[in-house]
Amino acid sequence: MKQFRRILSFELKYYFKNKIFVGVTVFLVLLLAGVMFFPRVKEGFASGSSEADTGGALPVMLVRAAELEEEQPGTGRAEQLERVFGEAFAGYEVRATQEDVKTLREKILAGEAACAFDVTGDTSYTYYVENRSMFDTNMEIAGAVLQKLYQMRAMAEGGMAPEQVEQVMTVEITGEAESLGKDQRQNYWYTYIMIFALYMVILLYGQMVATNVATEKSSRTMEVLITSAKPTAMMFGKVIASCLAGLAQLVAVFGCAILFYSMNRDYWGDNFVISSIFDMPPMLLAYMVIFFILGFFIYAFLYGAIGSTASKLEDINTSVMPITILFIIAFFVVMFSLASNQVDHMGMLVCSYVPFTSPMAMFTRIAMSTVPWYEIVISILILIGSVIGIGVLSAKIYRVGVLLYGATPKPGAILKAMRNSR
Amino acid sequence: MMQLELRDIEKSFGEKRVLTGISLTAEGGKAFGLLGRNGAGKTTSIRILMDVFPADRGQVLVDGAPINYQSLKIGYLPEERGLYPKKAIADQLVYFAELKGLSRKAAAASVDRWLERLGMAEYRNKRLDTLSKGNQQKIQLITALAHDPDIVILDEPFSGLDPVNAMLLKEVVKEQIQEGKVVLFSSHQMSYIEEFCDRIAILKDGHVALYGDLHEIKRSYSHDRLVVRTQEPERIRAGLGDCCSVLERGELMVRLGDETEKRQMMQRLVEQYDVDEIRVFEPSLNDIFVEYAGDAGKED
Repeated sequence: MKQFRRILSFELKYYFKNKIFVGVTVFLVLLLAGVMFFPRVKEGFASGSSEADTGGALPVMLVRAAELEEEQPGTGRAEQLERVFGEAFAGYEVRATQEDVKTLREKILAGEAACAFDVTGDTSYTYYVENRSMFDTNMEIAGAVLQKLYQMRAMAEGGMAPEQVEQVMTVEITGEAESLGKDQRQNYWYTYIMIFALYMVILLYGQMVATNVATEKSSRTMEVLITSAKPTAMMFGKVIASCLAGLAQLVAVFGCAILFYSMNRDYWGDNFVISSIFDMPPMLLAYMVIFFILGFFIYAFLYGAIGSTASKLEDINTSVMPITILFIIAFFVVMFSLASNQVDHMGMLVCSYVPFTSPMAMFTRIAMSTVPWYEIVISILILIGSVIGIGVLSAKIYRVGVLLYGATPKPGAILKAMRNSR
Repeated sequence: MMQLELRDIEKSFGEKRVLTGISLTAEGGKAFGLLGRNGAGKTTSIRILMDVFPADRGQVLVDGAPINYQSLKIGYLPEERGLYPKKAIADQLVYFAELKGLSRKAAAASVDRWLERLGMAEYRNKRLDTLSKGNQQKIQLITALAHDPDIVILDEPFSGLDPVNAMLLKEVVKEQIQEGKVVLFSSHQMSYIEEFCDRIAILKDGHVALYGDLHEIKRSYSHDRLVVRTQEPERIRAGLGDCCSVLERGELMVRLGDETEKRQMMQRLVEQYDVDEIRVFEPSLNDIFVEYAGDAGKED
């Protein structure tokens, strides 16, 4: 036990003294600080500058209604259009223009205007823009505006009083959604982030365990270690140290994120994505920790065992491939289910009990849907059992693996050596 | 004095029988030479002795009782050297000493003492890979000795050391022997074994091919050869014929038909020729090793 504690603290020190480990953590925290403080900083700058500057920054939208004016002179249609377009397109500075279409085109290409509408009739227009973005909704808005104008005029011509028309056209419908289970819109973002964090940490630290073991073997430090400490103490010390290091990194990053958010909550206003991420229920954080630790152990034990069978550092990449692929498949199954909003289909049900996939699959189901408590308990029990089983198996492989040099042994050869070592 | 005994140790890896019954006894205050060609079973014997894996059969005994790894400390300098290349020297030395049961304070004090003793104190906080090969070897030696072991196992301790460092190591080894520890030596450099070891065992194909007191082994060889140093080797060769061969410049080997002819032959040589020195031939450890461990044409 004393040996185990000593190995654990030595390995932990290795992580906390490792420049890359510290660098990545600090970088992530700074990045988060940059993001979370951004609205506050931006507002600080904005309040310092004048209103005119802000106004001048808006892109120009030109509205031409020459044909309409010609058709129906004296009705003030052009002014009306300028006004309603101005209201509808808050992000633009809307200007009416009398120039011909050719000039409009030139102005857009020269960058003097961002876009232009040439309204050719009550129900027709042409939209001019240099590069039409994927998210350009100007035509939909213009269509709705023109449609509304047309409907209002038709109602007025049909004898309706202007107030009545106004009331009909601006009637508001109120509605509320009440989710009896989970609101997936609300949970999507933090589930996504947590699954991703789980994936990154397990993969990175698992591979670190494998590399560490292989380095000890290839540098022949193992010769001294194996005669100084019990292999089980070495293996568990290493795996638990990397688990603690990973957990510490997660806590640092997530802790700072929450801290920075609480400092800047007011500046973020009602940004849906951000507020939904930080409105995560504490219970889910607890599940995250449980599934992180158990999932981490399953993979780190396997990575450690495989690392012990490699004699050279170069062998590691090919040796760990099967485990990495298994883990990536688990990740993609969960990610696709998450993206398609179907977290309770048969595939996910199965995955939430299989120990290699359940840390991510069951966690996703808990976060995104309503899972009966006994399913969670069964899944966690299977996971704990598997961690113990795989831990024992890995320790056995490790005991044998660290003494094998030469070509990376085939699984059959390792099994045989394990039987012989009893 | 402590007595370490391996009794009937057998070990197989799968189909391969690596040790087929090793028995030997090493005593405290004396160095024991464990010899054998590559693959003869030395490392496996050492690993069983150190409890890295158990023997299939047989026992490791200390003073007649099964060895207690909790109370008995073993120091090991492996043939395959290697420590953490990127870590500070003192850090890892203290770590290894702690793994072997020392408290942190005692480990740090002992490591400092050894660094000082081997003239390595200035490298205390340097990374291992910044050191020369010989200095790395000295650091490795500290991992074997810092926890003040009762049994010291040194596998090829002198390889890669310059004459000055070899001298330093010799002093350290002699100290360990004088302190009454069991010192187990494994080396292919026979001159060092001859210098230190009172008792040897030569392993071959997993069994002990030769075992005993080195001095007695040498004496047990029959005294049927004479080494003659002379100014006129050609005349002696011409006079004695086939039983005489050249050992080196000015030195001849004379084979006797029988040990009883010794006096007669010595007398004849002294009377008839100009002879500087005559002595009975005693085989070197090298000769003995080749005779017992080697078999011509077979590589393992």
